[in-house]
Order: sequence, then structure tokens, then C-alpha cells
Amino acid sequence: MSDLDIVGPQLAVLVAAAAVLLVDALIPQHRRIVPFVALAGLALSAAWTLSWVARDDYQTAFEGTLSLDKFSVFFYFLFAGITATVVLASIDWVNRAGRGQGEYYALVLTSCAGLMFLSASRDLITIYVALELSSIPQYILAGWGKDNRSSEAGLKYLLLGAVASSILLYGMALLYGLTGTTMLDGIADAIAADGESHRSLLVLASVLLIAGFGFKMAVVPFQMWVPDVYQGAPTPVAAYLSVGSKAAAFAVVLRIFFEALGEGFLSDDWSTVFAVLAAVSMTVGNVMAVVQTDIKRMLGYSSIAQAGNFMVGLAAISVSGEEFTLGASSVLVFLAAYAFTNLGAFIAVIAISQRIGSDQIKDYAGMWKRSPVLALALAFCLVSLTGIPPTAGFWAKMYIFNAGIRADLAWLVIIGVLNSVISGYYYLSVARQMFLGDAEGADRVRVSPSIGLSLGVATLGVLVFGILPTPLISAAKDAAEIFSRQ
Amino acid sequence: MVPMENYLILSAIVFSLGVYGVLARRNAVLVLMSVELMLNAVSLNFIAFATYLDPDRILGAIFAVFVITVAAAEVGLALAIVIRLFRSRSTSNVDEAAILKW
Amino acid sequence: MSFYDTWSAVLIATIAGFTLVFTALVATKLLAPYARERAKGVSYECGMLPIGRNWSQIHVRYYLLAILFLIFDVETVFIFPWAVTLGADVPLFVFYEMLVFIGVLVLGLGYAWKRGVLEWK
Repeated sequence: MSDLDIVGPQLAVLVAAAAVLLVDALIPQHRRIVPFVALAGLALSAAWTLSWVARDDYQTAFEGTLSLDKFSVFFYFLFAGITATVVLASIDWVNRAGRGQGEYYALVLTSCAGLMFLSASRDLITIYVALELSSIPQYILAGWGKDNRSSEAGLKYLLLGAVASSILLYGMALLYGLTGTTMLDGIADAIAADGESHRSLLVLASVLLIAGFGFKMAVVPFQMWVPDVYQGAPTPVAAYLSVGSKAAAFAVVLRIFFEALGEGFLSDDWSTVFAVLAAVSMTVGNVMAVVQTDIKRMLGYSSIAQAGNFMVGLAAISVSGEEFTLGASSVLVFLAAYAFTNLGAFIAVIAISQRIGSDQIKDYAGMWKRSPVLALALAFCLVSLTGIPPTAGFWAKMYIFNAGIRADLAWLVIIGVLNSVISGYYYLSVARQMFLGDAEGADRVRVSPSIGLSLGVATLGVLVFGILPTPLISAAKDAAEIFSRQ
Repeated sequence: MVPMENYLILSAIVFSLGVYGVLARRNAVLVLMSVELMLNAVSLNFIAFATYLDPDRILGAIFAVFVITVAAAEVGLALAIVIRLFRSRSTSNVDEAAILKW
Repeated sequence: MSFYDTWSAVLIATIAGFTLVFTALVATKLLAPYARERAKGVSYECGMLPIGRNWSQIHVRYYLLAILFLIFDVETVFIFPWAVTLGADVPLFVFYEMLVFIGVLVLGLGYAWKRGVLEWK
């Protein structure tokens, strides 16, 4: 029974998914309550997680394959929050799409449960199954729209995702062959015992793993799906993909690389790979984002650049001693700040494009006059993405670049700062359009309550963590503690 | 016994054939078949490692079972999307079906 | 027994198979009478004359059934190892675990039914 208690947060989400389907199929006249059933499930999940925090009794379940620790608890809260915001932001869009309401929310919830499992798994088989549990619903959701463009986005995401997961599996197979186990701690022990003799094969396995997860993290050179899928998929789904699956991929990469492959001789190799990928992703993402005219494509490229920023934290593993976990905790801080910020930006885009019927940046001109609140919220999120105070994005960048400096990666931090300047150009040019451009239509842009609420939550999060970053940073430090070594 | 290297080499060859198919084919269904080749190559790897290295011989087999089921789910989903595209477009070529570039 | 001993049976079976098929093919070519007529090319040599081309496309709805079949078919891969270990010394919990699994599958099928996916339309 206690095993089921440990996976309670995921079970709550899965039961909510089933309940959503049943409500939709059996009492169609009460279809309106479907999203609220989903929200209730997420609230129950968060409450269950909270009860584990209160019990302060962290343990593993199912023979050690799933681990309930401060790291997974951090991500449980993050994913429940992200999914709740996405559900709120989807209500309008799904109502207008008019079909398959139950299925839509059930898929979002199933994917959320997959992400939660992913952040908690400590076994290669569990990681793979959790990854697919979160990915397959995302493939369907990306193809949810009525037009061909959306179906194509779904098909492309699925095909490339399947290729990525088979590359990932090849890496896992090598790791299993070299160590004889699929448990992360067992792998770490086997590598510590006689890893040096298979060093080149271990490096090959790490590179295959990085390639497989790089697809989910959306870093160059595994990024080609991002702009197309973000543009083609329904905007709420794009928002979900840009924060949810990215956060989970970084969570599992932190676990695999810090826990299983953290051995000194190996981490030197892969931290270099991460440093190079970080530099390339930031640069390519930002340069491509500058020339975009479609705001969803622009946010797609910008999310590639942001993934480059996350990777600075992964590359910073070479910090030794007490600060060994600094890189990991900085990734967590950045993930949380980015989740709020990017969700806020995407929700503002949903609200605006629903009314003006366009995703073109030039049509955002004069938005300040048509809806001051939306324009301010979007501009605020863009400022946070650039990394200017007083926003959460500022502290996240400070913290992660600090980790980079401590790890003697000054060259990478310089590239990162230069890239922030480039990103400032295109983020702020959207803001300039909104505040200084001339409005095309005179009609005001109104916001529905559900979107207003989700946008409020996201921007408030950005603002609060921008002014009071300490709770977030200390939570991230606690969560990253599980990687520390005595 | 056949030496383990033979299985690993066979798996590497099949995997490479799959990669070639993914890169060279433009038809969504053929790309899907190539992905299946890659996944099966990986399953072969797992089973070979399980048989030769793992004393319990169980983890690799379990992994292969999960790979097979997940692959089936992916194929089902991909075919469903292809059918949807086909109904509105009468094509299953990835190239022709691309408003969004590959 | 060495590696080659175990596989020699396979080799013999392969050779025998090829020989039999080859002989049969050659024998038909030599012995059977063959009339080259246009009527030979139609789909059915007797009965109605077929209308249209014989290269007809399979209708899309067969694919839907094929997909459903594929999904449910592959799930049995979990049932085989379960059935094998069930006779051994395992707790009763394992039995109910599989019932839950099958129950979820049945629920899914029922849901698809309710949604009209199985209708032939």
C-alpha cells in the first residue's frame, strides 16, 4: 500500500484523467465542469505532495525504481502548477474547437502524470516508459487543431520524437550492457568500480543519451521540430510543450548525469559537450529568433535559446566540494522562473490572437491602446525572458551565470551575456510595437475570466519571484541536495 | 554459442539501415517503418546483453517488452494521423504534406 | 554439441525446402499445358466479368480497425510472462494486478465503443 501512497500525486492526476473522460462520455449535458474536474485532480495531487512534505519521510517505491525525494517534490509542484495554468488557458480554445473536450483534458493530465513519473524515476526502464507516457499524449495534442497544419505538426513531432527515443534507447542499451543494471545507483557503482576500462563506450552512451534527451530539451542540433510544431500546434499546447516537456527533460538529465554518470573522469567529458551545446543553442536560437515575423515561431526559437541558458547549469558540474550541486540548483531556479515567464507570454499571445485572429508580430502594433493589461503583461514577461530586473528571469540568469563562473566557464558566460543582448533586441521590439505602433483596429481586446486568471497567476509569479527570489532559490537548493556527495 | 559481438554488429547494422531510411524516405509510412527498424535493433541489443551479461537475464527482456508495446502505440498513433492527413489531402508523402518545412 | 551441430538441421531443412520448390516450379514449366489468352488476365476466369481495375485501394476504415487490433494485440505481450510466472510461487497480489490491467483495457474498449469508433460507417 505504501508504494501506492508514494505515487499518490501521479495517481491523483491519472484518476482525474479517467474522471474527465467519464464525465464527458456519460453526462454530456454537464460538459462544462470537465476542466474543473481536471483542476480538482491537480489540486488533489498538489495536496498529496504537500502531505509528503509535511510527513518529511522521503523514500523509494517499487523496488527503488521511483524515488520520492525533495527533487521530485519540487517538480511535482512545478508540473501541477504548469498543467493547471495550461488547463485554465485552454478552456476558451477547447470550447471553440467544440469537440473532444474530455479527451483534450484527459490527454493533458496523462501527459502531466508522465512528467511527474519522469522526474521521480531512478531506473532506465521507468524513465523510458515515463518519457513515452508524457510524449504520446503530446503528439496527439500537437495534432489537435482542425487544420492540416496542426496534423502535420503532430505527425512531424511524432516521427522525430520516435527517432529521438530510439537513439536514446540505444544509449540506454549500451549503458545496460556496460554495467549490467538499469538502476541509476547501480550504474554509478559499476562505473566507479571499473568504468575507466570502458571509457570510450561510456562516452558514446552519454552522447547518445544527450542526443535523445536533447530532442525533448529542444537544443541545437536537435531543435528542427520546435518552430514548426509551436507554430502548427494549438497555442495552449505549444505553451505546455515549451515549459512542461522541457522541464521534465532537464529533470531526468540532471538525475541521469549527476547521479549515474557523475563519476569524475566521465563528467569532464560530458560537461564539455553540454558547454558547447549551450553556446551553440543560445546563439542559433537568438539569431534565428531575430528574423521571425510570427510570434509563435519567435517564441519557439527563443525557447531554444533559453534551453541553451539552462545547459550552462549542466555544464557547471565541475564545481567541486560543497558547491557541487550549485549547477543543478541553478537549473531548477531557471526552470521555475522560465515556466512562469514563458507561460505568461504564451497565454498573452493566446488572448491577443484569439481576438485579432493573427500571430503576426506586426499585427500587435498599438496593442497598448486596445488592451493595456494584456500589453503590459506580455511586455513584462518578455522583459523577464531577457533577464532584466525586477523579474524572476533576472535572478535565474544571475544564478545560472554565477554557477558558470564558479565552474571556470567564463567564456560560456560571456557568450551568454552577449546573447542576452541579442535576445533583448527582439523581445523588446515586440514591446516597442505594442506601445509605440499605431493600432490597426480601434476595437478593444477583451479577455475571458479563465485566461485572465491564468495570465494573472503567471505574471504574478514572475513578479513575486522577481522581488523575493529567496524562497525559490532555497527550495531549489534543497532539491538539488540529493546530488551532493560526502 | 554465437559470440555476443555478432548480435551487437547485426543490431548496429539494422539500426544504421533504419537511420538511412529515416533520412532518405519522404513517405511518412516508410519513415515510420524505418523507425521500427531502429527500435527493433535496440531490442535486439537489450536481449543480447541480457542473455550474455546479466546473471538474472531479466532486465533486458523487460526493457524489450516495453519497447515493443510503446512502439506499437506510436505506430497506431502515427497511422491515425496519416489517415487524417490523407483524408483531407490524399497524400502520405512527408514532402507533399509539408506546409511546415521538414 | 557445438554450434554447427545445433544448426545443421536448419541448414538441411533450408536446402530441402529450396530443392522441393525449385523442382516443383521446373516441373510445372515443363509438363503443364499453357494457353496464352486475354481471358487469362482477368481476375476471375469464370463468372462475371470484373468492373474497374483490380488494383483497388483498401478503404481507410480498415486501417482504423487495424490500429485498434494492433494496440490490443500487443498488450498480450505483458500477459504471456504473467501467465508463465503465475504457476510459480508468487503472491496472489500478482493475479489481481493483471485483472486491473485487463480492466483498464476493457474500460478503454468500452469508451471507444461508446464514442462510436467501432461503428462501420
